[in-house]
Amino acid sequence: MTRDKKVLRFAKKLVELSSENGIVTEARVSDVLAGLKKTTVRNKGLVLKTYLHYMRRAVAEQTAVVATPGALSAEALAAIESNFTKVYGRPITATTTKDESLIAGVRIRVGDDVYDASVAGRLKRFAESVN
Amino acid sequence: MKTSTILFVILSFAMPTLSLVAAGDAHGGVEAAEPGIIAKTAGEFGVTWPTLIAQMINFGLVAIVLYFFAVKPVVKTLDERQQKIADGLQYAEEMKTQLAEAERERAEKIKQAAIDAQKILTEAREQSKEMIEVKTQEAAAQAEAIIRKASEATELERQKMLSDVRQEVARLVVSTTAAVLSKELSDADKQTFSDAAAKELAGSAS
Repeated sequence: MTRDKKVLRFAKKLVELSSENGIVTEARVSDVLAGLKKTTVRNKGLVLKTYLHYMRRAVAEQTAVVATPGALSAEALAAIESNFTKVYGRPITATTTKDESLIAGVRIRVGDDVYDASVAGRLKRFAESVN
Repeated sequence: MKTSTILFVILSFAMPTLSLVAAGDAHGGVEAAEPGIIAKTAGEFGVTWPTLIAQMINFGLVAIVLYFFAVKPVVKTLDERQQKIADGLQYAEEMKTQLAEAERERAEKIKQAAIDAQKILTEAREQSKEMIEVKTQEAAAQAEAIIRKASEATELERQKMLSDVRQEVARLVVSTTAAVLSKELSDADKQTFSDAAAKELAGSAS
């Protein structure tokens, strides 16, 4: 996808408008999309695609995706949210996904950062350390 | 040849003198009316002064003619031949001397050549010996290098094999452990482990 600088700057501005105190909220996103629907913008499709790309990144940066093979206690999730919020300096919401390949433990992804405390990850690191 | 020439001239001049003595004796004999034995004999043989003088002149002319046209060329030819023979002998002597000199030079050259050949042979032997020694050392160094490289290659191969074995063992251990843990761990165990891991991650992240 080729985006010119104007489209990129416009999409970033829309993302800023979609967040409140650095947090993307559904209400702000709805307002932005409604306003965008009313206005006539050139390359609207391209703008929307770029906006979606940046929105995914913004949502990923404020979401801790916790992969686990089984259930996870609410206490653990709360600990993750509070500690990662403190670490990143922005509100982090934890969501869980099921991943049987981890065997046991968790793997947390926040944006581009990955924290692995799974059995599969430990075994993999063990195998890589043997040379 | 010179001596015979001188004798011939003396005889040429002596003969007329003897004839004159004989004639003188004969003439004196006439004046003394008692001729001598020489005059008597000359008279008996019919020798008279005019005849004697004529014969002397004739003899002198013949002698002169013979001297200039027979003796002198013969003497000249003989002198030339003698000179040629002397020259030939001298030449032969010189040739003999030169031959002896050449023989001596040849012997010296052969001797020098033998010395040079011996020297060259000695040098060649020394050089071949040095070359053999150098080549031997080079061959030993090359053999040592080859052995060292082979040893290094063997060591590398051994290390690689060990690494491969370790990796394979680790892979088998990991896969076996994963399979066993997947089967053996209950859901409760998994949840307990996951909660502990989540809290550990949250703690380490902060």
